[in-house]
Amino acid sequence: MPMPEGRWIDVEGLRTRYYEAGSGEPIVMVYGGNFGTSDSASSAYTWNLNMRPLSERFRVIVPDKVGQGYTDNPQNDDYTMRAVVRHLAAFLRAMELPPVHLVGHSRGGYACARLTLEQHDLVRSVTLVNSGTLSPGVGTNEVVLSRPPYPKYTPECVRWVYQSYSFDPRVVTDEWVKAVLEILALPKYQESVRKVEQEKLGVKLFLPELAREKRETLQWLNDGRLQRPSQVVWGFDDRTATLERGIELFRMIAQHERRAQFHVINQSGHFPFREHPARFNALLARFVAQC
Amino acid sequence: MLKEALVFLHGGVPGVTPYCSGPHIWGRSLELFAAERKVVALELRGPTVDAQMQEARAALGEDPVHLVGHDLGGLIALAVAAEAPQRVRSVSAVASVAAAPTGDGVVNLTLAHPPPPLWSRRSQAWALERVSYSHQHIDDALLDACERAARKNPPVRSEELPPSLMAAKARFYELCRERGYPVPAQIIWGTHDPLGSFDQGLWLFRLVAQKQRIAQFHAINRTGALPFREEPEAFHQIVSAFVEAG
Repeated sequence: MPMPEGRWIDVEGLRTRYYEAGSGEPIVMVYGGNFGTSDSASSAYTWNLNMRPLSERFRVIVPDKVGQGYTDNPQNDDYTMRAVVRHLAAFLRAMELPPVHLVGHSRGGYACARLTLEQHDLVRSVTLVNSGTLSPGVGTNEVVLSRPPYPKYTPECVRWVYQSYSFDPRVVTDEWVKAVLEILALPKYQESVRKVEQEKLGVKLFLPELAREKRETLQWLNDGRLQRPSQVVWGFDDRTATLERGIELFRMIAQHERRAQFHVINQSGHFPFREHPARFNALLARFVAQC
Repeated sequence: MLKEALVFLHGGVPGVTPYCSGPHIWGRSLELFAAERKVVALELRGPTVDAQMQEARAALGEDPVHLVGHDLGGLIALAVAAEAPQRVRSVSAVASVAAAPTGDGVVNLTLAHPPPPLWSRRSQAWALERVSYSHQHIDDALLDACERAARKNPPVRSEELPPSLMAAKARFYELCRERGYPVPAQIIWGTHDPLGSFDQGLWLFRLVAQKQRIAQFHAINRTGALPFREEPEAFHQIVSAFVEAG
């Protein structure tokens, strides 16, 4: 399913790529992953099976996060989750959007929750999808995906990573792999790989900073600071962010938020919106319509 | 093309459950569905699971429908759909403790000591409150309907009910394990259902999910055993999304 033509907007000096389609209530979809990975690379394309169908009823916006997709790398080598959240919030303001329905997957789920916790006025509802980054407990990402058996930057490696994430390996289409390889080929992206992998900013900066901030984020969730209708959507067969972690996340949110829902989709790994797009789109559309 | 109808199967075990269920139990949620498609709410009076299955079967026509069943009605819906998968597009089992595995669980005391006389207005109000997260949904309209139901069909307990229930569950579990459940199905649970734990709901989902690709589990926050009454909008949203995703 083709993406609409990409657009550009300046966000605090960062040339930011985004995609937009449809009209109505704004839904902003935030994909996962992070900058500087050479075995795979998420971009706005991750939502290609959802964007068009949802745009029949909503204004759907998918930005490329700082350092990912076609958006500029962070300034001053600020390869942190904080920079991602700040850029995302600044993007919403630059777009002059009314409060949006945020949809965040994986690391993007963390960014969406953190953004909401810090800047409630930008957000109307929150949908969190298979976000191990946000959930308490042990993530098994590094276990399932450590040391891919193929050379980095190759289609074989990309395919292996996403197939390891998925329930059905056939959902990893050539088109998906191609979209990832396009990002991996960008000089600016390879620059982020040099920073994050070669200069070890991933291990030295991104992960410890995220761990520090996550403690606070979970505390805030437990304190009931989210304060927006929320749903947690989980692919049942995700080996990297297991169901138990989704249940725990839902419980944290549900203790304070009446309008909290938990949804599990069978025969789906880490990407339920790609393995069951029609089911995910229907769930999201119905949820957003009543928030 | 006309949208397929939704057929609702209420729960409650005749002569056992201390409130009288019936089509009235669905309350306002039926209106929400009726705004979008044809809605039929069955009245099941049979004293055993097999008798109720017969009533539900008879209500199915040639045109495929979506079944929504509460508690025992959930088990009836799952069982009837499995017999005639070509006539049922999907099943939504709601707070269906009757269908969920219990293992060697401990007795549930939620409804252990209803105030007499049984099935009086006061006694039914007590039971409805006990199975709910909040009493707010228990209004005069509901209590009037429950009273009418008790007068119209004085509850009679059948000795054959427990064995018929166990047999129906066994058939259902065998089907899930061996051939696989043949119809898309979802399990909807209240986070605060005093009659069945979150885990029980999830286990029911796991059974269906073994071999049925289209299977979902949903939890609705701050609801008990009657989530469609306590959060009708959320319930309507979840069932509608499942039905329209095909």
